Amino acid sequence: MLEVNNVSKIYGEGTAKVVALSDVYLRVNDGDFIAVMGPSGSGKSTLLNIIGGLDYPSSGEVILDGKRIDNLAENALVDVRRDKVAYVFQQYHLLPSLTALENVLLPLIFCGANGGSYKKAMDILKKVGLEKRAGPKPSELSGGEQQRVAIARALVNEPSLILADEPTGNMDRKTGGEILSLFEQLNKEGHGIIMITHDREIARQAKEIIVLQDGQIAGKINSEEGGGTINAKEKVV
Amino acid sequence: MKLYRIVLKDIVRRKKRVLFAALGVAIGTMTVVGILTIALAGQEKIYNQLEKYGPNLAVMPAINNVDTQLGDLSLGTLAVGENYIPEEKLPEIRQIADGEIKAALGITDEGNIATLAPKLYVNTGVKGTSMMVVGVEPEEEIKIKTWWKIEEGKYIEGSDQVLVGAVAAKLLALNTGDTVDLNGNTVTVVGILEETGSNDDYQIFVPLETLQKAYGKEGLVSSIDIRALCNACPVEIIANAINQNITGVRAIAVKQVAEAEMGVLERMNKFMLALGGITLAVGLFGVVNTMMSSVNERIKDIGIMRAVGASRNQIMRVFIYEAIVIGIVGGIFGYVAGTLLAYVIGPIIFAGTDISFVLQYLPLSLALAIFVAIIATMYPALRATRVRVADSFRSL
Repeated sequence: MLEVNNVSKIYGEGTAKVVALSDVYLRVNDGDFIAVMGPSGSGKSTLLNIIGGLDYPSSGEVILDGKRIDNLAENALVDVRRDKVAYVFQQYHLLPSLTALENVLLPLIFCGANGGSYKKAMDILKKVGLEKRAGPKPSELSGGEQQRVAIARALVNEPSLILADEPTGNMDRKTGGEILSLFEQLNKEGHGIIMITHDREIARQAKEIIVLQDGQIAGKINSEEGGGTINAKEKVV
Repeated sequence: MKLYRIVLKDIVRRKKRVLFAALGVAIGTMTVVGILTIALAGQEKIYNQLEKYGPNLAVMPAINNVDTQLGDLSLGTLAVGENYIPEEKLPEIRQIADGEIKAALGITDEGNIATLAPKLYVNTGVKGTSMMVVGVEPEEEIKIKTWWKIEEGKYIEGSDQVLVGAVAAKLLALNTGDTVDLNGNTVTVVGILEETGSNDDYQIFVPLETLQKAYGKEGLVSSIDIRALCNACPVEIIANAINQNITGVRAIAVKQVAEAEMGVLERMNKFMLALGGITLAVGLFGVVNTMMSSVNERIKDIGIMRAVGASRNQIMRVFIYEAIVIGIVGGIFGYVAGTLLAYVIGPIIFAGTDISFVLQYLPLSLALAIFVAIIATMYPALRATRVRVADSFRSL
């Protein structure tokens, strides 16, 4: 379970001060699929980075599986990234010099895993439908394929929570739809997902939609309840 | 798959950048290797010269000069002691000299090491001119006087043959084939030496036994030159041992002129190594610079690696592995280039030196280059690990 309690993030000081997040409260149960929406600069990515320990909040706390992670030292955050959360980025962020398979192996290498790594990575590539595309480098793969590799890389350490920052943002509808169904499948298998998206159709697949505006949660929609309207400025505390 | 393989793959992708960094390391290493190679060649040349300087030790009869006085009136000095060394002391002297050398160098095998060249000096009239005639063991003498060159004729082969110094030959108008009377004994000039610039030019060299017989000095020699045949030989210790154990003789370690020359070389080496160090330091900055930009252009990659679970130490290792590769490449280049540099510059500094690849400098060169590369990488790498993962993506 993930708790985000009164998290604020402020960049800069004085007149250059930018409030990226202001007093954000969020609760994500294990296995939840949450979509985060909002205009550019509303603080979506900042929120995701703070949840995953890629960035520190200015105030507030982030509790993951009962453990505060917002105040962890860098070395301790490494364990969070290895064991609990994984990222999928809009830009894929694959290492250009490595093959698809090697990119999937990367988390295992850093974990110091030995034995069975190749098989595990291959199995996961198969799961994302890329078992025949293990050899090429990212530059030789299509956008959809690259994102599948990135998803495979995220899955290889079996994280409880997958943080996806506009994973389909660079794709046409068809490819995006395929990637999305992959995420849905993963969600069914028990992975919690927090996904940033601009696409309302995609967001509709999520159990809950969080709308961010100017660093604040402007509304929450429970899609399963069929709510189509966003309760503007509804502050959830 | 290991971390180092990721690094290697990345290096292959960014070969130009890595080569550029290696070049910086190579320039510094090149200078150091070049200097060392030149210095070694110079040292060898001086050692060779050292060999040519002849004896390391001279053994002479022990003579004490005693001032004689009558009241306040000085009556001059009186030489007390023998003027000659009995030949039977030769084996003893040899034993001491060889013993000390073997002890110093850890040699166990039997056999002679030092060259002992006994000499008998006789000042006598030759063709009406007063000349210094030197009785020598021809075979031993030539081992010490390696620089001797025969201008005309040949070297002494028989007991009635003599070798004449260049100036003496001119003074006495002697040619090969001429005969010379030595106290009633007739000997034939078989060779005339090239000018050496030393006393040898004024002397006539006769086989020792012939001279001893001619002047009734059987079994006597005036001095013994000893050449230890190695530059590390403990000549001072040998001299002391001879002085303590053999009576009637005085051994002197010849202070080699070359020692001064070695001193000059040593100072020059230090100076050049300091220069090399500076070059290395400059190269270091170049590499720091290159690594800096290398790190900057890889901020995103570092962010990716950290986002998928790389620790700061692992990122550090990535850069150190890369530094090792840069060091190896730079070290090899530096070694080859340094030797070539020595090949070009060496002969200018030490005329007539032979520059060759000094293989033992290769590991040195590699170690130096890797060290420099790692040092240069430390700061950029440390900075790289301090970048927040989120920032590394934002910068794009």
